[in-house]
Amino acid sequence: MNGVTRSSEATSAIAAAYAERRRRAMPSGVWGVALLVATEAALFGTVLASYYYLRFDAARWPPAGIEPPDVALPLALTGALVLTSVPVLLATVAARRARVGSAWGLLLLALLAQAGYLAVQILLFKRDLGVFSPRDTAYGSIYFTLLGLHHLHVVVGLLLELGLLVKLLGGLTNYRVIGVRAVAIYWYFVNFMAVLVVLTQLSPSL
Amino acid sequence: MATVATPAAQRHLDRLERIWAEREGLTGWLTTTDHKRIGLLYLFASLAFFAAGGVEALLIRTQLLVPNAGVLSPDAYNEVFTMHGVTMVFLFVIPISIGAFGNYLVPLMIGARDMAFPRMNALSFWLFLGSGLFMYVGLFLGNGPDAGWFDYVPLASKQFTPSSGIDFYALGLIFNGVSTTAASINFIVTIFKLRAPGMSLNRMPLFCYAFLAVSFALVFALPPLTAALSFLELDRRLGFHFYDVASGGDPLLWQHLFWIFGHPEVYIIILPAFGIATSIIPTFVRRKMVAFPLVALAEILVAFIGFGVWAHHMFAVGLATITTIYFAAASLIIVIPSGIQLFAWITTIFTGTPRFKTPLLFILGFIVFFIMGGLTGIMFAAIPFDQQTTDTYFVVAHFHFVIFGAAVFPILGGFYYWFPKVTGRMYHEGVGKLSFWLTFAGTAVTFFPMHIVGLLGMPRRQYTYPPDLGWSFLNFLESIGSYVLGAGLVLIVANLAVSLLRGERVGNDPWGGDTLEWSATSPPPAYNYPVIPRVTSPYAMWDRDDRQADARRLERGELTLERGHETPASTVLDAEWDEILEMPSHSWMPVLLAAALAAVFTMLLLGHWVTAGAFSAVAALVLFGWHMQEPQEA
Repeated sequence: MNGVTRSSEATSAIAAAYAERRRRAMPSGVWGVALLVATEAALFGTVLASYYYLRFDAARWPPAGIEPPDVALPLALTGALVLTSVPVLLATVAARRARVGSAWGLLLLALLAQAGYLAVQILLFKRDLGVFSPRDTAYGSIYFTLLGLHHLHVVVGLLLELGLLVKLLGGLTNYRVIGVRAVAIYWYFVNFMAVLVVLTQLSPSL
Repeated sequence: MATVATPAAQRHLDRLERIWAEREGLTGWLTTTDHKRIGLLYLFASLAFFAAGGVEALLIRTQLLVPNAGVLSPDAYNEVFTMHGVTMVFLFVIPISIGAFGNYLVPLMIGARDMAFPRMNALSFWLFLGSGLFMYVGLFLGNGPDAGWFDYVPLASKQFTPSSGIDFYALGLIFNGVSTTAASINFIVTIFKLRAPGMSLNRMPLFCYAFLAVSFALVFALPPLTAALSFLELDRRLGFHFYDVASGGDPLLWQHLFWIFGHPEVYIIILPAFGIATSIIPTFVRRKMVAFPLVALAEILVAFIGFGVWAHHMFAVGLATITTIYFAAASLIIVIPSGIQLFAWITTIFTGTPRFKTPLLFILGFIVFFIMGGLTGIMFAAIPFDQQTTDTYFVVAHFHFVIFGAAVFPILGGFYYWFPKVTGRMYHEGVGKLSFWLTFAGTAVTFFPMHIVGLLGMPRRQYTYPPDLGWSFLNFLESIGSYVLGAGLVLIVANLAVSLLRGERVGNDPWGGDTLEWSATSPPPAYNYPVIPRVTSPYAMWDRDDRQADARRLERGELTLERGHETPASTVLDAEWDEILEMPSHSWMPVLLAAALAAVFTMLLLGHWVTAGAFSAVAALVLFGWHMQEPQEA
């Protein structure tokens, strides 16, 4: 077949970039992570729906004795997290054009910002746990479960980026370019869900 | 392919044989990424679980053979019927249809050499095996789940079921869900990306449409189950309150979440059976399926509408009238795509020239039971009728006709149909027909009287009944039927086992089949096809010119892709050749990752949270090791 690239030959940055340009359909790895994101979105959808299901059953939400959540800091944090989509996007563009150095730097930048986000979120989570407990009311149960689910996804995303950064030290290949694209899609998803999660979390105060 | 290869062709075959050689012995099975071997692993594992679920069914029927029997204690009875349901749904029907039939056949039917993610495919199998063993360990330790397969709270809450059986159930099903999700994603990407050049979506066999629909349904149906089970475990283990009314929770939340999964699940169970039926019918009636595009659309519509009907399982719980009416209407609508398929099968058979071999007999049995189970299904959409019969044996009769009669019969027919492809030998036709009539009669006699005892008021899940209610004879009949059914199933296994050793050797295509898998040798080599087939219609094997062109290409060494583990990738809609993919070969990582995750779930069950975290870290490291071997460098 003329003009059809062989993935087994795309083991250098230049060859991988060539394969990227020639390919007409999305590669399998991108399809795979897109479907992973679809199933994860259904999971978040279920947990968010459960939040509102319990809320619409309740006479008071949050129940008596629990203050509605503070708005400013969680919103600012989410804004910062959403902004990390930019370096992630630029990293995919760089990787697809064989610029391994820029891809590496941009991914590291995103990783540091996201790790900072997670650190502050964990502090907030612990502070909330000091104020009310998931074991006292259904409100506490769904509140901490929803946030915990989101933070877990951030942890997984950080681990994926960390693994990718290690792999990219050895240069770019077709496999790794697809890896960068896949991890990027995962992060767009986490960032999008972060918005829905924070709006739900703060909904009693909004 | 030509049966006798010319020297030129033989050189290419030898080279492919060398490149695709699998490892020997046990190591070979543990590290395999060959979709056919993984399919066989799925087959044997799910058949073992089928045997376990079958023994449980026979125990139930023996307990109910006569009034006031003492074969099982009430507690043991609860565990046995719960594990029967869990086993048949999660450890038999889904893994055998998707894991065994799908794995073995989908890549062959689309002309690919493997699945899109071969290592993840192996991972799916090892996770499935781990989850099944996990739940059965619970049963053998005397901690089987005992709150029914849909495990309603508050019965399943810590307060009313303190034993760890429910924890085995909840963690085991989350574990199982990971496996099934990975498998579904793999099927979708395989079908979208790896179809042979020329097999545009409108030329794809209907079998693959069914698997595409099922895989999409699973991707969206499993998360609600995972969420429901996670909430349950958080309630039971950490004292959360999702389902606890006293603290603002709601037990109906479980029912909604379970059935948002559970009703699509019904179609997930039956759609592969539809796919098998649409493979067997054209071959044995010698004509193409009637209304091909409508049947393809109906398969997808069934999976889609299946998401909008869940609350018809909840008509008796006191939802708002407007809600129940919506769900009743939605449940009636699903009759339309089901009817399209049914009429398409019947018309195809009537307008063809049927050869009533064993596989077609099983499909006819399937059609009979699907009509009967479908008719009672429509009856349940009538709210007052449902409220009267809910939780009676009428429901048990309905879903066994659908799940056993309609979903499993095509699987049994599929065993016979593809046996010559997988083994290169033919089964015994006479014994095959006898086994059909035994299973057919057994199914009818076991499950039909359940309609009547249900209408007479016998509730399901009762461990016994008194002699003076007029239920005794019908229950006796059902139990006798179940023994006949068991004998029929044993006869199928015996027929295939003996034929494996003594069956007559047959060529590649003993039936004159319509889809590509019949062009591969029997059994197919590790690389499936020495030449990547070019496809111009959904009935690729009936396009003789195309297949002869493939044979000529082999002699010229054209499209043989013999530089490594290679398979073509094509564009999603039109299947134009896009690139040549290097696929991974054998790997230890899938089985190691599954073992690490099994350890995580075991530690979660035991409440060793820190150790569970440590094993999660091991799993992450294994996953990193997994990516150390990049297929294009292998």
